[in-house]
Amino acid sequence: MSVLDTLLSGQLLFSALVTGSLYALVALGLNLVYGTMRMLNVAHGDIVMLGAYGAFWAFTLLGVSPLLAAPAVAGAGALIGFALYRGIFRRLLAAGAGSAGRLEGNSLLLFFGLSIILQNVAALLFTPNNRAYQYLGDVVRVGNVAMTGNRIAALAIAGGTCIAVALFLRHSVAGLAMRAVIERREAAFIVGVDVDRVQWASFAIGFASAALAGVLLSMLEQFSPFSGFPLTIAGFIVIILGGLGNVMAGLLAALVLGVIETYGVALTSANLRSVLLYGCFVAALVLFPNGLFARRKAAG
Amino acid sequence: MKHSAIRRRTLVSSLIALIGSAVAATSWAQVDKPLRIGFSMARTGMLANATPSQLNTYELWKEQVNARGGMSVGGIKRKVEFVTYDDQSKPEQAVRIYEKLITDDKVDLLIAPWGTPFHIAIAPVLEKFKFPMIGNTAASVALRQVKPGYIWFPTSAIPDRIGVELAAMLKANGVKSAVVIANVLPFTKEIKNFLEPELKKAGIEVKLSTEYPPDIKDMTSILTQVKQANVDAVLALAYPGDSVLYAKQAKELGIASPFQFVAIGPSDAFFVKAVGAASAEGVVTIAHWSPRAEWKGSQAFHDAYVKKFGEDPDYLNSALAWMSLEILEATVAKTGLDKDKMRAMISKDTFETINGNVRFEGVQNVITPTAFVQTQKGKLQIVWPTALASGQYETKKGW
Repeated sequence: MSVLDTLLSGQLLFSALVTGSLYALVALGLNLVYGTMRMLNVAHGDIVMLGAYGAFWAFTLLGVSPLLAAPAVAGAGALIGFALYRGIFRRLLAAGAGSAGRLEGNSLLLFFGLSIILQNVAALLFTPNNRAYQYLGDVVRVGNVAMTGNRIAALAIAGGTCIAVALFLRHSVAGLAMRAVIERREAAFIVGVDVDRVQWASFAIGFASAALAGVLLSMLEQFSPFSGFPLTIAGFIVIILGGLGNVMAGLLAALVLGVIETYGVALTSANLRSVLLYGCFVAALVLFPNGLFARRKAAG
Repeated sequence: MKHSAIRRRTLVSSLIALIGSAVAATSWAQVDKPLRIGFSMARTGMLANATPSQLNTYELWKEQVNARGGMSVGGIKRKVEFVTYDDQSKPEQAVRIYEKLITDDKVDLLIAPWGTPFHIAIAPVLEKFKFPMIGNTAASVALRQVKPGYIWFPTSAIPDRIGVELAAMLKANGVKSAVVIANVLPFTKEIKNFLEPELKKAGIEVKLSTEYPPDIKDMTSILTQVKQANVDAVLALAYPGDSVLYAKQAKELGIASPFQFVAIGPSDAFFVKAVGAASAEGVVTIAHWSPRAEWKGSQAFHDAYVKKFGEDPDYLNSALAWMSLEILEATVAKTGLDKDKMRAMISKDTFETINGNVRFEGVQNVITPTAFVQTQKGKLQIVWPTALASGQYETKKGW
């Protein structure tokens, strides 16, 4: 089998899709919160980590399948998001209404503190041990592509959730309101969009999608209280690549990233993974400073 | 007036009594004062998930020692108390902590932090304050460059020896071809550098040799090449995180090579939980310990650990941690807390441990042989060297 055969095999495509869809799901929530409120949630990966623990405990202590636990864990994520918004961030938004720069700075510090607290509380409560469990580990073969059940489930759920959120943003009234706040915040306010409601909904959806991503990741790989940070970074790369606040472009950027990661490594060496990722990232920033898929916005 | 005089007298006498009792208490305390043992450990940060098997071992030891009435210090038993700080997975932080433990906390004894870089980082501190400490979870040829005298390393899992022994084991089991995939972190990279020349010498063809970064999330592209190479042995020089990734994806892609070596991970109890019993079965890994009758206390240690923590100890790191404590205990029982005498005794005596006898020359343990273990029916068995083997090597029959 030549290099070309490897590249054309469905195995790599499947792998790229799984990676891409998980990146997309992680980035989705990050982007919603940034888009509607201009807040950089650096604790996003830690919510993913908590979601992974939720699924792990549900599975090991209660014997509940992660797929069944997923809605509950995502719901808990949404509640945490809602509570944080109401408890802390709404006040911050009100105080920083005049200056977007100060708001970004303050929210960054707050989220950074939250991240440290979540990591250390998790380490204290759950110990820093690596955790993992076995679920849907059986191999399914379709043609010459071998897939484990959990990776198929992760792809389907992550992809499905992203598409559902995309449809929601495009076609529902609430989704349109959300997009209106993302694109022209003041204008949305003037035409009567309930900005406060959009903001808490973004927090809730953002945190729920992060928790869901955690459930899916927990089926695939091991994790510890400190697994969240690299995911935050991956999420940031995706949304900066796609254009900050541009949710749909973020989804495409995540797939591009999955493809670069899988095929780039196959063509060169696994050692060059970071070079490839960050190389493309820097190149995209230089060539398309508003994001890869920002044409529509630039024209408008 | 009289009233106040009495009150003053009462006050003065009670003060004197109080001071007297305090003095008495401190003089009593000199005998009864707990023995304070200091260490730093990565409780947070990127390495925190690797340290519990060592920390658990320390806790188990303390519990057992105190249940026996304390640790013998030149014949007098003293209860043990830990003084410990989080080094946040940063060696430079460990350096500050060990300085503080010696100069500020004035601990009586020191035990080791987790991992090679931490041992190497604190060695100069031990040297500066002439404070002997027995290391444990450190393995690198770089350790031999550490100035001998105040730190010792009981492990035999040193990369150059691993290279020689693994090549010999592969040859003895009829392996003709192999692939090497290595994490670029120091320990596995070192193994790779020493292993590949040995494979060549042993006449084993390396059909594919590749490296990958520690943050790898998907091995599909590497493992499709590994599968195509269709070799007798896959030598996955992996760390705990990617050892699980390797096992899961080797199963997905159906990698059928009969000899499966995974460097770090399978000796720890989390591995089997993460990949499942069928995938863990038959994997060969690095460790030089297993519970056996001729190593006194080894079975008791294993059972006590399982009882307290509900899982097997790490056959490499937990065993090493326990050995270092046994050596410390034997030394202090004879020498007391005199650092010079301790140093002299550790440097030349032979110690009986749960891993057999240990004797140091320079910084290194020169008795314990480099060995490999294999998961057989859910238990780790030493399969190499054959003289030490507790089980016969078996080929891996799928994932």
